[in-house]
Amino acid sequence: MEQIGEVSDAQLVTAVARYSEVALAEVYRRHGGAVYGLARRVLNSASEAEDVTQEVFLRLWNQPDRFDPGRGTLRSFLLAQSHARAVDAIRSLNARKAREAKDARRTASAEYDMSHEAWDLALADKVSGALADLPQDERRAIELAYFDGRTYVEVAALLDTPEGTVKSRIRNGMRRMRAALVEAGVQGVDA
Amino acid sequence: MMTHQQASELLAVFALDAVDSDEQELIEAHLAECPRCRAELDAHRDVAAALGNSVGQLPEGLWSSIASRLPPRPAEEPPPMPTLVREGSAHEERTATRFHTPRTAPRRTSRGRLLSVASLAVAAAAVAAVLGVNLVHANNQISSLHNASPASAVAALKVPGHKVVDVESARHVELAQFVLVPSGQGYLVTSKLPTLSSAKTYQLWGVINGRAISLGLLGQDPHGAAFTLGGSSHPSKLGITVEPAGGSVVPTGSMLAAGTV
Repeated sequence: MEQIGEVSDAQLVTAVARYSEVALAEVYRRHGGAVYGLARRVLNSASEAEDVTQEVFLRLWNQPDRFDPGRGTLRSFLLAQSHARAVDAIRSLNARKAREAKDARRTASAEYDMSHEAWDLALADKVSGALADLPQDERRAIELAYFDGRTYVEVAALLDTPEGTVKSRIRNGMRRMRAALVEAGVQGVDA
Repeated sequence: MMTHQQASELLAVFALDAVDSDEQELIEAHLAECPRCRAELDAHRDVAAALGNSVGQLPEGLWSSIASRLPPRPAEEPPPMPTLVREGSAHEERTATRFHTPRTAPRRTSRGRLLSVASLAVAAAAVAAVLGVNLVHANNQISSLHNASPASAVAALKVPGHKVVDVESARHVELAQFVLVPSGQGYLVTSKLPTLSSAKTYQLWGVINGRAISLGLLGQDPHGAAFTLGGSSHPSKLGITVEPAGGSVVPTGSMLAAGTV
């Protein structure tokens, strides 16, 4: 007999594919905070982040086969889903306007809320360090694209920089981040 | 149609969802035919996931909303397979949920099933509450714990009447083990706590009558620590938090891990 805490993410998704709601609940317990946290960071709205989180888990329930354990971790997969949905939401004109209004009164409470788990804390530490070590122009381009949900064309306009330069900065920054995280021993980026 | 070179230049941007919808379709078409680009995209996505890996507090009731929206299952029965069932009460969440293989796999849409899922979420929340909410007071000075050789901990494990305390995360991953001996001495036996940056430290707390009392700092990479439990009251639990270097008078966040004495 295996305790649920010892079951791998891949086994849980297999159980979800067989309609195990308890397995889905365990996936939510393990990764729901990350999914919600990212959506909230991008959208700067608790209610919209809840909508995104619901969509992500309902999609996993309906289409569990979209997760391919050979291509990355379940956490990466769910975060990619959360980010894509948050970006979809923010790119509607109304959401953008609402966000810009909220941005003006953004407070520290909208910043990272650290996980209770040691592993997530240690990871957050290493990621913050790797991001801070990037050249400023690469870091700024990545932050505007990822956390503000802007296209690279929008980032280029905002920074008054050619689009090709922004593409290069993002690509170089991502490669540099990856190298730094691999060097720091972060699992999941060293495959 | 997008060339390999054009697609390759956009993969990092694509991993950040920072292309427009037209380019997205062109890149996806290329990815379907190019395993090299798929591999590079996966690598960029892992970095993106690491960037987005901060965790927010989950809003109350969110799981219930998700569970209530799960669509009905199709009519046909799936073949038997391992499923999750709960055993025991909600207070026994740690050992309550196990895999087993039923003779026929029942459907999961009954009200009972939904309640059982809700119970699991409530139980998990209750565990978090026990670890986080009950341990919010401290009233003594903060000092680093004494260094102790591994031999001291091993010797303590041979003292009659010693108690071993497994300190686990809310997910029941054992992060550290302590041994307490009747004289009041305590030792860190093992630690799997990851190394923190120099700006942070692990801090050990004892819970006495529901109050979290600092037992001292474990440092950024705990090993070989010893401490003394003074007074007549002994803690019912040990807990560990991450604090700014120098420690905190009261825990500034929830317990990373806790264990019953």
